[in-house]
Amino acid sequence: MKKSKILLLVIGLMVFKNYATAQNVNWASLEKKQQHILNINAGLDYGLTYGVGYGHQLKSKLPIIINGEYSFPSGNKIVDDFKTKIGGSIRYAKVNNFLFTAKVYGVFRRYQNTLSRLVNFGSDMSVAAGYYKKKWHVAGEVGFDKAIVTHFKHSQLYKNNFPGVQDGWYEPSTGGNFYYGIQTGISFKQHDIYLKAGRMLTQDFTTTPLVPFYLQLGYNLRMGK
Amino acid sequence: MSLKIIKKVSIFCILLSACTKERKINDSGFLVPKTVVEDLSLPSITVNGAKFHAEAFGPADSAIILVLHGGPASDYRYLYNCKEFANQGYRVVFYDQRGTGLSQRFPKSHYKSVQQLTDDVNAIIAFYRKVPTQKVFLLGHSWGGILASAYINRHPATVNGAVIAEPGGLKWKDVKDYIDASRKMKFTSEALNNATYLDQFLTGKENEHEILDYKYSMLSSTGDESNVVGNEGVLPQWRPGIVLQNAYFDIAERENPDWTDRFLRSFTTKVLFVYSERNTAYGLAYAQKVSAAFPNVQLFKTLGAGHDMLSFPTGWNNTYPVMLSYFNSLK
Repeated sequence: MKKSKILLLVIGLMVFKNYATAQNVNWASLEKKQQHILNINAGLDYGLTYGVGYGHQLKSKLPIIINGEYSFPSGNKIVDDFKTKIGGSIRYAKVNNFLFTAKVYGVFRRYQNTLSRLVNFGSDMSVAAGYYKKKWHVAGEVGFDKAIVTHFKHSQLYKNNFPGVQDGWYEPSTGGNFYYGIQTGISFKQHDIYLKAGRMLTQDFTTTPLVPFYLQLGYNLRMGK
Repeated sequence: MSLKIIKKVSIFCILLSACTKERKINDSGFLVPKTVVEDLSLPSITVNGAKFHAEAFGPADSAIILVLHGGPASDYRYLYNCKEFANQGYRVVFYDQRGTGLSQRFPKSHYKSVQQLTDDVNAIIAFYRKVPTQKVFLLGHSWGGILASAYINRHPATVNGAVIAEPGGLKWKDVKDYIDASRKMKFTSEALNNATYLDQFLTGKENEHEILDYKYSMLSSTGDESNVVGNEGVLPQWRPGIVLQNAYFDIAERENPDWTDRFLRSFTTKVLFVYSERNTAYGLAYAQKVSAAFPNVQLFKTLGAGHDMLSFPTGWNNTYPVMLSYFNSLK
């Protein structure tokens, strides 16, 4: 069961990479020749996080960017927790300056403390609609971050308290959070500076994560001949 | 040739999937231990409409020391040192409070008032008290100290003495201020991110006890940086009960309880009030402020220990003789 989910996820990622992706870009200022997009960002994403990303604009009829991102939370152990995303974004509709976009990512993330280590495969899907001009944009977005399947491995410290704990893959899906908010930014020459922020809700709509909102300040460098 | 390879790969995949044991995230016994409802081999008693994980040591008819653990989402395992009083002739009673430890779980809507927990204390005492003249002492740590005080506030005649160790406060506002002070963490710290980053891996619904209890147990990982309360390490515990804690936090926010408002100030028996040297969120001034609600107090500072002074060797060795002497003086 768990393997089939992983397989589906891998297949999903392979499919998605052919269609879509990425960072928060100003679609109105993105030129066809600008195939490479480098990104750095910092913000609140289940904690204070820092991230980098790379996007590649495909030569397609509809604007499509495939990309990969890596982020990690602050703390004195940098490599024990992280999140990677691979996927894409597509601008699928345009009415004058109003643009409609969608993002689909496969997510691989890791968490470790002194008691356990969790490795998770998940997905992050969102849609956005907004007003885009060459030098600025503002849009609203709504999305869902799903933890599909998670592997647990516990330290001796946890086993001292509960020797019967069972390491391994767990099902059904171990979590999910909805998010909604706004994104805005300014663009000049090859550069975008953007800010996105919003609220988060757990999938039962009754509770929130400990950090019930997200925030990201980012910078894109668009390159290409 | 290619057909053979496909066959081999297929057989390998079938064998691999057969070897994988399926684990359900919302079942007890996988990530968190089973409760007394699911594991009938655990010691338990049923009183006041709930099944409690409970144990007692020492002569059944001697003076009772009822141990009340903190949290409230904790359990009595970290207070097992108190079994030593049984060797001194006391009847030492431990129980995991309603909805936590290995005691029975209830949905959040089950919890109506903090009085439910003082009623449980009453029922536990009644269960273990074999003769009406049997003396009863309370030993409450942290939240357990608040619960002991709340019980004395309602039933002063039932109690012959109490050790109260670092309760957050005996009025809700004091408790909240103490929680804020004791959980102060740097925004960029590993400890804070260890607590918050987990939310993208695990989300439990309001009454999914297994997931929520497991998530809460992860908070006991210190992250190496958060040591305001001065503990020496991770406490031994069975299983927290976060639904209960969330419920009582909501109730307390609504009711703004004052656990000194009835008979506490007329409880003239001496109370031993313990605080620790290394808990920087507590200290002498705060201990004096909180303990002032008792008319007759002996303040004791445990040297070389933090908030969980009864669990780690230095704190226990420094506090036990004073507690024993106190109980013996009232026996």
